[in-house]
Amino acid sequence: MAKLILLLLNWIFLCCNVAAVFEDQVGKFDWRQQYVGKVRFSHFDSHMQSSKKVLLASESNVFAALNTRTGELFWRHVDKTGPEGNIDALLQHGQDAVLVIGNGHLLRSWDIGVGGMNWEMVLDPGSFRSACLVGHQGAVKHLAVLKKTVISLHYLSNGHQKWVENLPESETVDFQAVYSGGNGEVYALGVVPNSHLAIVVYSLEDGEITKQVSVEAPWLSSIPASCSVISRGLLTCVDSTTMSLYTLDLHLQLEMTQIPLQTLGLDVDPGFRPSLVSHQPNPAHPPLSEFLLQLGPEHHLLLQHNDGQIVTLRDYKPALLASFATAGEKTVVAVMAPKNKTACSINLFSAETGRRLLETTLIFTVDPNGGKPEKLHVQAFLKKDDSVGYRVMVQTEDHTLTFIQQPGRVMWTREEALSDVVTMEMVDLPLTGAQAELEGEFGKKADGLMSMVMKRLSSQLIMLQAWIAHLWKLFYDARKPRSQVKNDVSIENLSRDEFNLQKMMVLVTASGKLFGIDSKTGDILWKHYLENIPLNAAFKLMVQRTTAHFPHPPQCTLLIKDKDTGLATLHVFNPIFGRRSQVTPPALPQPILQSLLLPLMDQDYAKVLLLVDDQYKVSAFPSTKNVLQQLQETASSIFFYLADSGQGRLSGYRLRTDLSTEQVWEVVIPTETQKIVSIKGKRSNEHVHSQGRVMGDRSVLYKYLNPNLLAVVTESTDLHQERSFIGILLIDGVTGRIIHEAVQRKARGPVHVVHSENWVVYEYWSTKSRRNEFSVIELYEGMDLYNSTVFSSLDRPHAPQVLQQSYIFPSSISTMEATLTEKGITSRHLLVGLPSGGILSLPKMFLDPRRPEVISEQSREENLIPYAPELIIRTEWFINYNQTVSRVRGIYTAPSGLESTCLVVAYGLDIYHTRVYPSKQFDVLKDDYDYMLISSVLFALFFATMISKRLAEVKLLNRAWR
Amino acid sequence: MASPGGQGGGALSTRGGGGARRMKWALELSVGNTRSRSDRQGGQGDVVYPIGYSEKPVPDTSIQETDKNLVEKRCWDVALGPLKQIPMNLFIMYMSGNTISIFPIMMVCMMAWRPIQALMSMSATFKLLESSSQQWLQGLVYLIGNLLGAALAIYKCQSMGLLPTHSSDWLAFIEPPQRMEIMGGGMVL
Repeated sequence: MAKLILLLLNWIFLCCNVAAVFEDQVGKFDWRQQYVGKVRFSHFDSHMQSSKKVLLASESNVFAALNTRTGELFWRHVDKTGPEGNIDALLQHGQDAVLVIGNGHLLRSWDIGVGGMNWEMVLDPGSFRSACLVGHQGAVKHLAVLKKTVISLHYLSNGHQKWVENLPESETVDFQAVYSGGNGEVYALGVVPNSHLAIVVYSLEDGEITKQVSVEAPWLSSIPASCSVISRGLLTCVDSTTMSLYTLDLHLQLEMTQIPLQTLGLDVDPGFRPSLVSHQPNPAHPPLSEFLLQLGPEHHLLLQHNDGQIVTLRDYKPALLASFATAGEKTVVAVMAPKNKTACSINLFSAETGRRLLETTLIFTVDPNGGKPEKLHVQAFLKKDDSVGYRVMVQTEDHTLTFIQQPGRVMWTREEALSDVVTMEMVDLPLTGAQAELEGEFGKKADGLMSMVMKRLSSQLIMLQAWIAHLWKLFYDARKPRSQVKNDVSIENLSRDEFNLQKMMVLVTASGKLFGIDSKTGDILWKHYLENIPLNAAFKLMVQRTTAHFPHPPQCTLLIKDKDTGLATLHVFNPIFGRRSQVTPPALPQPILQSLLLPLMDQDYAKVLLLVDDQYKVSAFPSTKNVLQQLQETASSIFFYLADSGQGRLSGYRLRTDLSTEQVWEVVIPTETQKIVSIKGKRSNEHVHSQGRVMGDRSVLYKYLNPNLLAVVTESTDLHQERSFIGILLIDGVTGRIIHEAVQRKARGPVHVVHSENWVVYEYWSTKSRRNEFSVIELYEGMDLYNSTVFSSLDRPHAPQVLQQSYIFPSSISTMEATLTEKGITSRHLLVGLPSGGILSLPKMFLDPRRPEVISEQSREENLIPYAPELIIRTEWFINYNQTVSRVRGIYTAPSGLESTCLVVAYGLDIYHTRVYPSKQFDVLKDDYDYMLISSVLFALFFATMISKRLAEVKLLNRAWR
Repeated sequence: MASPGGQGGGALSTRGGGGARRMKWALELSVGNTRSRSDRQGGQGDVVYPIGYSEKPVPDTSIQETDKNLVEKRCWDVALGPLKQIPMNLFIMYMSGNTISIFPIMMVCMMAWRPIQALMSMSATFKLLESSSQQWLQGLVYLIGNLLGAALAIYKCQSMGLLPTHSSDWLAFIEPPQRMEIMGGGMVL
């Protein structure tokens, strides 16, 4: 019987926890944006005249096809991260696209129409050098792959190997390029740096070496950087030291012909490494005899090889970029030239003659908040009158793709930088103008009673006006069908909604581009590209002033640290408009170790940011007199900790009044055995409503809510499955006291940790049982509080009670975060990003070390779920239903104005935003709430009461007359 | 003192018909007899009682010794009423159980409300007991009875867990403790 009741209870409990969305709610509160990453290779699908596809292979190991009309994805394939999935080459022929992946490990062919895979071939090991399509007698049927020691030929139709040959003298010669001109021969070009060039010619039929020559070239170090094959097998190289062009006929010559650039009347810009670009429109035919030569950052040339002579067809100066494109039989050169500061013009030139084609000018407006143009991808097509038309896709330094049509209409832009979000924050939107006016009224000083009254009246009038306008809009919109109602959001009309559900997402990307995105629609409202961001920069974003202090604009500060030099810079900006703030950030001459945002505010309501330099000295920003005075007063209660993973040192410091620091404690974790992987403190905006837990006998188990507690995770350096372990340390950040220490033997990282309230949840791989496990630690003070009014780490004589439990999780995870709400009344959920692309909302209730193994009356009273080692993934717990979020790297949670609602952003390759309701929407009427029914019933009842009252009166009167 | 026309609309019409014959008004001085003068003239009793005379015998209202005992008894009944309720209440309590649902709650409310109501109208009860010689004792017994009833209701509340007697009931009112130290930091960037 008890079991039955328990089952029933469980069932009811589980029913209450369904968090799935209804079909009509799809896309109502959530949106997803899919990205590709920084584009490495692109090909316009030109085998069909009407095709509107562009193939992109990116540095994030993604292969995708975009719709050139809209910029949306047709299909996308996401490969493994890291070098394993690295796309080395993209070759397209007809309906097939062949990718070389993972340093020549795999060969994959895709059908570009539907994005399905044709075949996959595993290649012999060896580091990849080059690949090309091989045509013969007008048809392209093969593909040559050159590796460090072997060259192999594959059929395009099924990927099978036709032949594979070892490269001769591969120990000394570095083979770097492979070329085929459609004459039944495959050329492998190798170089012995600064000595000679080696050319090996293979027969297409059987892979036999038909010719092997070596040519003196003492100036040559790398073939792809300075050489190209033009015309009928003419290897052309450019060298900056000898200021010459070198040509070599691969069929006939045994020595290079030197053509000094001076004889052509050309000169290389000092310090610039010239490069050569040739163009082979069809692999079955030899390349064009025209080629592009770049001699300076803004200097391009179109040259032609004609009867052993190099002729200059056209000199483009200034020209930022130049690129070949072929439409039908015609080949054109698109050249981008700077026009003025904000615009560039693109022109088409005939490749054969170098003449400018008429009416082909296209204006590209350079975004002042974007980067410089970096690559030009040209899609040329034949118009009806047989002239060449074109569209261009411009790739800029900030990884943006802009697709432009003549005469300069931007068809779409894609912000591929968003595929690599490093950190983000959500900022409340400002109040509307009217509200701000009202707010401002209280902020200002009083200036006479009469004017105050007038001001109040006028502001009330404005509010009334706004309200009427709002009502009118509602009424007006209600008549239109729902699909047509589109809230056009722009920075000007941004305002906070009544429940603060719409916020500004400030995203920082690895490329150094900052974005402001409206959380409701996902529209990019502003972007700002920070130039000269070092490659391995560390970012830390802090909100110094929120929108709550009206006349003062909100202020965010981004700390950018170059990991190589240790030097850091601050970028201070307004998170709503993206503009650089007027406040000048301090110059930081010393390397910065960490920063610390204090809850102290200066007179302008900006929180004080402390920057700790490598001398352990502290500087404040803003550093006004007021701030320094406040700092002096509170210095004795300001502590900070620093963790150095390399040295295995964890140390705590205290601030002195003169802004120097003294070390208070130090914990050394021996680096020979383990290393610090991550440290998690508590989030500063976290509120805990309940200070304890109610037991079955209605007593209280008080939580140990130490705001200074740190969870330190270490991993063993020894990765052997018998000896590897992970450790978790709970340290008080002020005193350095170790509250708890746990070591999980036979376990391995990566460890994902969430630290919140009085609990720490972590996930690891158990090498012993070969499974993923979750473990939860909860800390309790006991049955009575030591000090209920203040919490001081320095005065805590009793150690907390520690409870721990572990569970088996059926999947590995990518990231983990806990939900966060305004007041902390709502129960907590863990948001788990899975590698499959799902985001799981796992109730914290399942990760509770008090889950009993033996059910008792008390545990039932407490609503504890009996312990079961397995955590089950229920499909209705996926908050992103079928909207897969690829490669989730982080989840950001922010509270909204509604206690029940938490805003969630998952970022990785894709960006996904939604709302979650961990305890369901207890403070909101449901979507399908029947207002009509309720109000009609109310009205009906009201009228019925009125009528019956009247009737009763009449009846009473009649009776009185009797 | 009824009007001579008799009762109802029917009589009214007769009056209208023979209005000339009858007087406009008449005073009947006999109490017991309600017959009209015309009937009397028709001839049976011509005895006329004086005003205020009643044929019924008036009961003797002078206080006697036995009545005093009765009043005392009655007053004790009133005073012991609440005490007599207690066994009944106990039984109801036992039957309704400790689960929190609508019926036990209603019963508890009734049980609590009745003694409170009684205690509120204490003065009225005292007035009732005024005639008794043991008024103060009875009043005390009445009070104790009601208090016992209230106590029983509170006990019931307690056993049902409705009283905020545990620390957990005050948990929601505990403010989060104030933080004394400011701490921050992290991995060396």
